[in-house]
Amino acid sequence: MKSAMFLFAQLTTPSVLKRMRVTSRYWLVWPLQAFYAREVRRFSEQRGTEKRSLCGRNAFYQSMVIATLVNSVCLIVHGEEAKPITYDDHIAMIFKKHCLQCHGDSKQEAGLNFANYLAIRKGGSGGEVVVAGRSSSSRLFQAITAEDPDARMPPKNDPLAKDQIALIKSWIDTGLRQSSGSSPVAMRTLGFTPTAVVKSDGPPPMPENLPLIESARLIRPFPVLALAASPRTSLVVVASYERIDFVDPQSRSVIGSVPFPEGEPHVLRFNRSGSVLLAAGGRPVHNGVAVLYDVRSGKRLAEIGNETDIVLAADLSADEKQIAMGGSSRVVKVYSTENGVLVRSLVKHTEWITAIAYSPDGKLLATGDRVGNIHLWDAVSGGVVLPLAEHKASVTSLTWRSDSQVLVSSGEDGLIAWWDIAKGWPAFLKADAHPPQRPAGFFGKIANGVLDASFGPGGELITCGRDRSIRVWASDGNLLKTFGPESNDVSNSSMNGIRILPLTAVLTFDGSLAVSGDSAGQLKTWLMNVDQK
Amino acid sequence: MASEISEPVIIGYVDSKTRKTGSKRIMPIKSVLLVLCQTAELGSCATASESSETQCLLFFRGNRRALHDRRRSYSGTLIPKLDNALVAFALFATLFFPFTVRGSEPSFRRDVMPIFFRAGCNSGTCHGSARGKDGFMLSLFGYDPKGDYERVVNEMIGRRVNIAVPEQSLLLLKATGAVPHTGGKLFSPDSDYYKTVLEWIEAGAPDDIGQVPSTVEVVLSKKGLMFEKPESSETLTVTAKASDSSTRDVTRLARFFSNNDSVARIDSDGRVTAVGPGDTNVFARFSRFTVGVEVIVLPPAAGFQWPDPVAVNFIDELVFDRLKKLRVAPSDLCDDETFLRRVTLDLVAQPPTLAEYREFIADTRSDKRAIKIDQLLDNDAFADVWTALWAEQLRVIGGNYAPVATDVKAADAFFQWIRTQMRTHRPLNEFIAEMVDASGSNLSNGPVNLYTMLVHKPQFEPKAFAADFSQAFLGVQIQCAECHNHPFDRWTQDDYYGFVSFFTGMKRKPGIEPRERRIYCDTSAPPAKHLVDGRPMPAKTLGSVEPIPAGGDPRKALAQWLTAPENEMFSRNLANRIWAQLLGRGIIEPVDDVRASNPPVNGPLLDALSKRLVEVKFDLRSVVRDICNSRVYQLSARPNASNVRDTRQFSHAHLRRLRADVLLDSIVAVTGVSRRFSGFPEGTRAIEYYPRESGDTEGPHFGDPFFSTFGRSSRATVCACETKREPTLSQTLHMVVGDSVRDRLSANGEIKRLVESKSGPDDVVEELFVRALGRQPTSDEAVAMRTLIGDAVKDVAVYEDILWSLLNSTEFAFNH
Repeated sequence: MKSAMFLFAQLTTPSVLKRMRVTSRYWLVWPLQAFYAREVRRFSEQRGTEKRSLCGRNAFYQSMVIATLVNSVCLIVHGEEAKPITYDDHIAMIFKKHCLQCHGDSKQEAGLNFANYLAIRKGGSGGEVVVAGRSSSSRLFQAITAEDPDARMPPKNDPLAKDQIALIKSWIDTGLRQSSGSSPVAMRTLGFTPTAVVKSDGPPPMPENLPLIESARLIRPFPVLALAASPRTSLVVVASYERIDFVDPQSRSVIGSVPFPEGEPHVLRFNRSGSVLLAAGGRPVHNGVAVLYDVRSGKRLAEIGNETDIVLAADLSADEKQIAMGGSSRVVKVYSTENGVLVRSLVKHTEWITAIAYSPDGKLLATGDRVGNIHLWDAVSGGVVLPLAEHKASVTSLTWRSDSQVLVSSGEDGLIAWWDIAKGWPAFLKADAHPPQRPAGFFGKIANGVLDASFGPGGELITCGRDRSIRVWASDGNLLKTFGPESNDVSNSSMNGIRILPLTAVLTFDGSLAVSGDSAGQLKTWLMNVDQK
Repeated sequence: MASEISEPVIIGYVDSKTRKTGSKRIMPIKSVLLVLCQTAELGSCATASESSETQCLLFFRGNRRALHDRRRSYSGTLIPKLDNALVAFALFATLFFPFTVRGSEPSFRRDVMPIFFRAGCNSGTCHGSARGKDGFMLSLFGYDPKGDYERVVNEMIGRRVNIAVPEQSLLLLKATGAVPHTGGKLFSPDSDYYKTVLEWIEAGAPDDIGQVPSTVEVVLSKKGLMFEKPESSETLTVTAKASDSSTRDVTRLARFFSNNDSVARIDSDGRVTAVGPGDTNVFARFSRFTVGVEVIVLPPAAGFQWPDPVAVNFIDELVFDRLKKLRVAPSDLCDDETFLRRVTLDLVAQPPTLAEYREFIADTRSDKRAIKIDQLLDNDAFADVWTALWAEQLRVIGGNYAPVATDVKAADAFFQWIRTQMRTHRPLNEFIAEMVDASGSNLSNGPVNLYTMLVHKPQFEPKAFAADFSQAFLGVQIQCAECHNHPFDRWTQDDYYGFVSFFTGMKRKPGIEPRERRIYCDTSAPPAKHLVDGRPMPAKTLGSVEPIPAGGDPRKALAQWLTAPENEMFSRNLANRIWAQLLGRGIIEPVDDVRASNPPVNGPLLDALSKRLVEVKFDLRSVVRDICNSRVYQLSARPNASNVRDTRQFSHAHLRRLRADVLLDSIVAVTGVSRRFSGFPEGTRAIEYYPRESGDTEGPHFGDPFFSTFGRSSRATVCACETKREPTLSQTLHMVVGDSVRDRLSANGEIKRLVESKSGPDDVVEELFVRALGRQPTSDEAVAMRTLIGDAVKDVAVYEDILWSLLNSTEFAFNH
């Protein structure tokens, strides 16, 4: 179907269209547009927030091509008469009615003038108030939607009507058009070429002659809290209780284990060459530590940190000289791997640190916390680079694309954000990325958190969530595959009354296999090249 | 398949309806269904067919650990459906293997959540606070089990609950103080609490939504406790009845508290210890129920003699019963002067006039008090007093800001309507019912202003209205249940939102003229949504299970239910308020805080009054007559040795400061100089006054500044506490130097006339005393006054000073 649409799009290039009369063009376009609208609506329902209204007679060609090829742009479709939201047609009158008394030509409180399109783009004394494509980051939008009546605009008044707020939101999100003739303000899309992994000498490191360790104390398998795939070979490491298993993902058989007597490994990370494994964890409210293992021999290379609570998040820097870790202390601690000394503490988070990731190029450090804040730091100097604010609940994971251009964050709020690091904005946002099925007659909020996210070799992203499914997303944020769940019905699970959730998900080094570990301690794998519904 | 079975393994199958757990976990298996497993090579493990009502338990012969180990080693193997052969085998096998197996694992809702409650985990200061503590939140006292399960088990997997190494679960480590915990150590690893939680986690921390019968009643082992002397004690046990009619002892899971620790204490094991003489109630709370039992600690019997006063009517019988039980002797009957002043101030809100005084004192009939009461009840002023009380309760305020629908014209329509009902002896239930289902114009249909005045807001607010409605007409405060189940009463969020739904359709639309709003019920409006899960809650009367039939204006059903004779909440509330108005203190106090943990101080008395009110078809005057004729009402305020400490059992009359409006009317009556109120005609009495404002009517409105000084209800809320009885410095100063008294002393020449008309100073003094205090001066007072007057027998200023002194006396300001 897509190829047919593409063909159609070719036929309806502007030059072709230009030669037609408006009416006939409309006739030609209508059925396709209706079909397209349906597709897009379906798509935007999956995609959630990111809605960009480009649909319209003028923008139609453009939108169709972009959407067909890139397939990343969602539209708001206003029936057949879809028109882009523009300043002249829609927004100016709202501003005139509610804002110009104080922010107009005669009076510019806070240096803001809403009577003039360019002046709005310019912003006021406090900087920009609108950011193309990002309503949630736009001060204007924040001001009109503030919950606190004292912080809300217009002041001392009811908030703007919902439809007006919606109009302003989609105006910002669709690129701040001035008039129906103008094009949207540039919003970046991110192409991706995978960078080759570091090729070190010799064959990919594999564990050699590691023993199998049986943990006698377990009455049932420990939840797979951490999982990592070797970047160079078909090998995954699986966290268990007081031990870490090296597993062949093809056969799901354990090749060998290393002990982790410190408690529960909460984080597992390979270094870029796949020769060193970082395991961090501990026991809740008891101790926390990060350990480096040699993958081949299973030997402990270093034990870093001595925390009073379990380490919830940690990563090894690209040059392997530093380990950053965090947990309930709310401080990100950076240790030297050479001498185990605390290099610096990064104090900015106000809640538990739940995710830490160094960029592969070694320049940046991303940290996320339990209320949804993400901070970017300079990995070398420890200086603050950017806050990344989009999550409304705990950040569950942070993962970098191998070219260090894109950071993905996932959260308990159901959101996956692909962050364009150069700009500090999300390139794509996927709200409700793992929507659980709502049982009939069930009211209220259903936990829809995304529990883990990690990049595969080709820039594809694998995530798992509280809907119990595993999802794979293309490098442009488009959903590629969904695995599981076998059934959404809790009572049918093999453990009566116990819901099994996939906690971790990775793609193997070649992207051929999706691996996920669940709360029942099981490992599941899916072949990526087999089509799944 | 059956032939391959080498070692049968019994798997218990227990119908959840007959399941019995709790303290006793070992039980004979009811019917063994399931079976087996081929042990050598796995793969043919069997399981029971699972229906929703049953629970399947897997047991290997031997211990549970073995099962877990085995299950783990074969994990991933699908358990095939049981076939008939296996079932047959299983049943057969039971005959030969009289197994006893452990009952089901502890249930989260039934066994674990009560421990959170008992240990205080989900209390308001800990994880039960609205945002939890340190990132871990539990619903306050467990109103949201589903959410609690998610937060405990699934929010941070492997941390709070560790199903692989259960004893390492943070839940247990924190509660036992094994790791640092802000809340400290809550129970020890030896305790049954620990064991229960551990077993639940060992079972995999299963959810049990829909499987656990809900608690429907909680019962205490004793109906009442009486202690002869301090330090003696007795232990209560708490039994919970479940919806499947099973019962269990929850003494170890309940929480206990006493309403007055200086009378009796109760410890966490339910042991009640007497502390000092008095009566109070101790309570146990479990699930959403608070149940109490009365505790009486008697004063020493030595030296107490029951005076055996004559009981005039049922009120006396019940109050005296109670006093006798408590070894408290009532005071004597008050004298005629005191009675006359008391009953006149209570019933018609002004002091008796000189003529009334003379007539009453001269009357020698034995039933003159009863006759006086009847006279006062027939006075229109009696209706006006109750009009004032209702207008205050229903927050009648007139404004002139049209959009809020509370224009002076509307307020006046409402006030006049109330007055008409009171003057025409309208039964109270009809009076209230008419307001409850009123619709129409706020200007022409008085009663509809219930929907504009009870909550003064620009828009009608169903939630605020429902809360105020129940507080005003039932004395019940349900607003706690907006966010969580009522912590000290039985009201749940279901009750609250069901009740709110009666009013979600109430709308106002503009009428013909700007001041007019038409109040109507939009029957298509959706019901209120439950806070926890957004479920629509159709209109449901308080305490009932089923919602009212859908369709039409739900307020019809509400009015019917509310004012029905069977609705004890309603009649008890009215009876209690009438009693409190006349005796100065409710049988339940405060009158608008009726709840399980605030029981009546004399239950039978409230029952009898409520019954009486129903009997006389909600006629206000009949009940007032009963109360005023009782000896209890007519007791002296002077305490005796045995009742001097009693403040709640009506063993003597309470000293009551006059209400602000009654005080002002009294000053006016005594001085004979009227008081003008802005916006009201000359001659309007203070009790006929309600605030008329220029503007909107939200917030506190006293109207006249005298009322704000003397604590008349500001009508800002529906709370009975709006009417203040506490003395303040500014009140004293106002009486001493303020214009209310000072300007009235000489104005009008009243005293001058008096002095001229009387033959001697003693007569003038006597009249001033009778006017102000309703009594003759005592001989000491007479001598003092005579000394003060000295030779200036015709000097008006001296008499003005005397009257000033009388008006500034405590006696004048109090009804005694």
